[in-house]
Amino acid sequence: MTNILLIAFAISLIYMGIANRLSTYINILAVQGIILFGVSFIELIQINTINLIFILFETIVFKTIAIPLFLNYVIKKNNIVREAEPFLPDFLSVVIITCIILGSFILSNIITGVHIQKMFFLVAISALLSGLFIIITRKKVVTHIMGYLVIENGVFILSLSTGNKMTMLVNAGITLDIFVSVLVLGVFVNRIGNTFEEMNVDNLANLKD
Amino acid sequence: MPGLVFILIILTSFFFTGIVIRTKSIFSGRKGPGIFQPMKDIGRLLQKENVYSQTSSFIFKIAPDIYFASVLIAIMLIPFGNQKGIFSFDGDFVFFAYILAVGKFFSIIGALDTGNSLEGMGASREALYSFLAEPAFFILMGSLALLTGYTSFADIFNGIHFGSYISYAIGTLASFVLVLIAMIENSRMPVDDPKTHLELTMIHEVMVLDNSGFDLGLILHATNLKFAMYGAIIANLFLTPGKEWYFSIPIFIGVQILFAVVVGTLESFIARFRMSHNPQFIFTITSISLLIFFAVLLILGKYF
Amino acid sequence: MFGYYLIIAFIIGIVLMLNRNRVVRILLLGLFLAMQTAITIYAYFHLNETNTIYFKFDALGVIFMCVLTLLSYTTIYHSFVYLQHRADSSRSQSIYFAALIILIIVMTCAYLASYLGVMWVFIELTTLSVAVLIYHERTPLSLEATWKYVFICSIGITITFIGIILLSIAIQETEITNFSFKAIPDQLLHVSASWLKMIFLFMIVGFCTKMGLFPMHTAAIDAHTVAPPPISAFISTTLMNVGFISIFRTYSMFAHTSILPWMNMILFLCGLISIIVSAAYLLKVNHLKRMSAYSSIEHMGIAAIGIASGGIGYFAAIFHMILHSFVKAGVFYQIDQFHRNFRTYMINETGNYFKRNLPGAMVFLLLLIAITAMPPSGLFVTEFWIFKALFKSGHFFILVLALFFLSIAMYSLAKNFLYILFNQTKDLLPAEEKPNPTETYSQYILLALVFYLGINPPVGMINLIKDAVINLP
Repeated sequence: MTNILLIAFAISLIYMGIANRLSTYINILAVQGIILFGVSFIELIQINTINLIFILFETIVFKTIAIPLFLNYVIKKNNIVREAEPFLPDFLSVVIITCIILGSFILSNIITGVHIQKMFFLVAISALLSGLFIIITRKKVVTHIMGYLVIENGVFILSLSTGNKMTMLVNAGITLDIFVSVLVLGVFVNRIGNTFEEMNVDNLANLKD
Repeated sequence: MPGLVFILIILTSFFFTGIVIRTKSIFSGRKGPGIFQPMKDIGRLLQKENVYSQTSSFIFKIAPDIYFASVLIAIMLIPFGNQKGIFSFDGDFVFFAYILAVGKFFSIIGALDTGNSLEGMGASREALYSFLAEPAFFILMGSLALLTGYTSFADIFNGIHFGSYISYAIGTLASFVLVLIAMIENSRMPVDDPKTHLELTMIHEVMVLDNSGFDLGLILHATNLKFAMYGAIIANLFLTPGKEWYFSIPIFIGVQILFAVVVGTLESFIARFRMSHNPQFIFTITSISLLIFFAVLLILGKYF
Repeated sequence: MFGYYLIIAFIIGIVLMLNRNRVVRILLLGLFLAMQTAITIYAYFHLNETNTIYFKFDALGVIFMCVLTLLSYTTIYHSFVYLQHRADSSRSQSIYFAALIILIIVMTCAYLASYLGVMWVFIELTTLSVAVLIYHERTPLSLEATWKYVFICSIGITITFIGIILLSIAIQETEITNFSFKAIPDQLLHVSASWLKMIFLFMIVGFCTKMGLFPMHTAAIDAHTVAPPPISAFISTTLMNVGFISIFRTYSMFAHTSILPWMNMILFLCGLISIIVSAAYLLKVNHLKRMSAYSSIEHMGIAAIGIASGGIGYFAAIFHMILHSFVKAGVFYQIDQFHRNFRTYMINETGNYFKRNLPGAMVFLLLLIAITAMPPSGLFVTEFWIFKALFKSGHFFILVLALFFLSIAMYSLAKNFLYILFNQTKDLLPAEEKPNPTETYSQYILLALVFYLGINPPVGMINLIKDAVINLP
């Protein structure tokens, strides 16, 4: 069952490549939150209840509800144009994300000697690289945060793959999640929205030589 | 009885498009035509005489027949649960893909033969989209072949049930991909709108502008047959082998009707993509089937 | 002991944030500096002792802690000067000092952390606390720089976290999973090379954001440009030392495994490309603070090459980082005064600094000698050792390339500094205020330290550095 959920997660990454509206991105992030909820529920059912509740709370309340609502609020408040405005044509985005998944697959097979669930590794690395790719190729500051959240989801998946031995590590990752992605980035997004008329990276290119 | 599935597919093709149209009418708040209305239209066309342009050659005349024949041959390869199709041999899904490609090739050169610039444009689009959708089909069938260890339709669908829940999960994903491939191959909604009236935005419809009468009837019915054929492949993913006919035939019909309703629903709720968005959409299907392929590889533990 | 320090220092930070009274602020800062000094001395005399479970006074940490403590004095002094001239509101001064204190505490913790996870958490915290300081001027430019810095550092730290998770996966097969820097190397001996390479790559890329090495060097540059000069001094020195320590500890962790040559190659690559990039940008840069930032990146590249070349290179790299901290801090303190004199950072709008501010100009001249590693400077000694290590390990090609690009960097630095000091072709506006020589004393002290340490390094320091590299092959 986990495998199916992970495949669904990877499909959502591909879909992110062709999505051209910000609301679609937000929906994808919410869906990823639900998928992560499913995966963590199945994988971590044996650990102690408080930890489990914390993680499930984090995936459902935080990733699925709070972040999408917050991003929607940011977009509305700052009158951000609804299109994602990538630098690359969408077709190339899909091809590159597919190549990323292919590369992660090859990587997961080259790496030997350690027992890891390869599916988790594959999806986590793909999410990391796709997130970076989205950050690089999208024009808006909000999409940068979305790319960052995709990376976070990848990290979450990877920390789930350590299984129920490493609950400390999983919790650390989640704390990082809550701390950085919302507290700091959110504050700055609103500041950027207040300072500049449009939240494009074009406005953030004054510092150069 | 190897011919059973052939007959079933032909029967299904009679009402398939009708159900699609009916679903669409219901979603748009109309009563809609009867289920057999498209068949009646085709029947009317089949009784008419062909009209050929003076500039077209014999290619234009034989193209619809070859197109129709290719679809029929492809249908003969489809198995039914544990029963083989009329033909069955190792690697027949490759043959399946390429016999369809032959038909498509003839319909494309037939369109080019008329010398109509709009038809040339449509042919070029059709060729591009088929070209993009082809890897998806092959990767998907390849992963199913890898999962079961066989290379013919009959053996693949026979073997697919002997796994755990994973076969069914992969079956679901595969049918998702197959529905999308069917939509593209038949030039349906997200890619092409069969009801459009503007030649510039047409893909498949514009290719048959010059066909008339009997030929047009064949071409239209070939689309119905193709839908029923993909429906049969999807149904095969869920047929339980070894079950008696009174069990599998209702499943088959049920899956076909469900497929038709899904197509109708998709067409009702999805807007057509801009032409420039089509390639990436079709490539997405390839990516998804690639994912299925990786999943199968990882689950089976077969690495290169 | 360290726990008490943490708690009290943290309380001081909070009180500073709430306090609006200038006298109380000075008293609190004095108290904090006293405490910081006390804990440093305590740490020096309790070497290699574990304290408060997660921290250990090991040689490497204590060395850089001493540097940090010394620079805290000067930075806090120059912060006062800086804020006084900007006439900021008392509230924003409170935030500034509170963030500064938190930054110092967090950096101290990052130096001394003896567990990988703990170090990671504190490095994350340095990003957050320094972001407040970079954003101090509240201009669109500072917003841009802060955004970039926080964002790139967050990504870097996330990538490092992936490395840590992979590491945990790798070592969870041994019986006891222990994440202290002491215990990890033994557990890594059984892990396959390809897996180790991947872990190292992830961790190094993440830590490069802090150290300002090649793949992730861009964040630090922009942060330098807009941060208040005393904070630039901190980012360029103690914060980069945090990155250096994290990379050094990571390197030491993996040093006894089979991937050592590969690891050296990666560090060579990072270091060399950092030098090349900084040399290229130094040629065209016109912003004094950016120029100093690129010069920092160049020195980080040298330190990375020092680690990678092994042997005496380890020793020299650490020594280089110490001396570089003193020099670069001096540069930024003087830039603050320079800025108040000219009201701009653009090099081509300035000139004839010798006439306008003699003590400051002298500082610049001496700093130029120090930073380009000309003989009396201590950096000359360390760079000489690093190149000797390169020569000994047989990397002639890298040696030649590094020397070539270093000379380009030297040329650009000298050209720009001499322009500032001596160019008389421009009619400049008169300075708005009389230069105050007392503000240059700290730089003279730092310069004296650099020259003295290069010529006659004290035995205690040598022993500390030797102790830090003792476990390396």
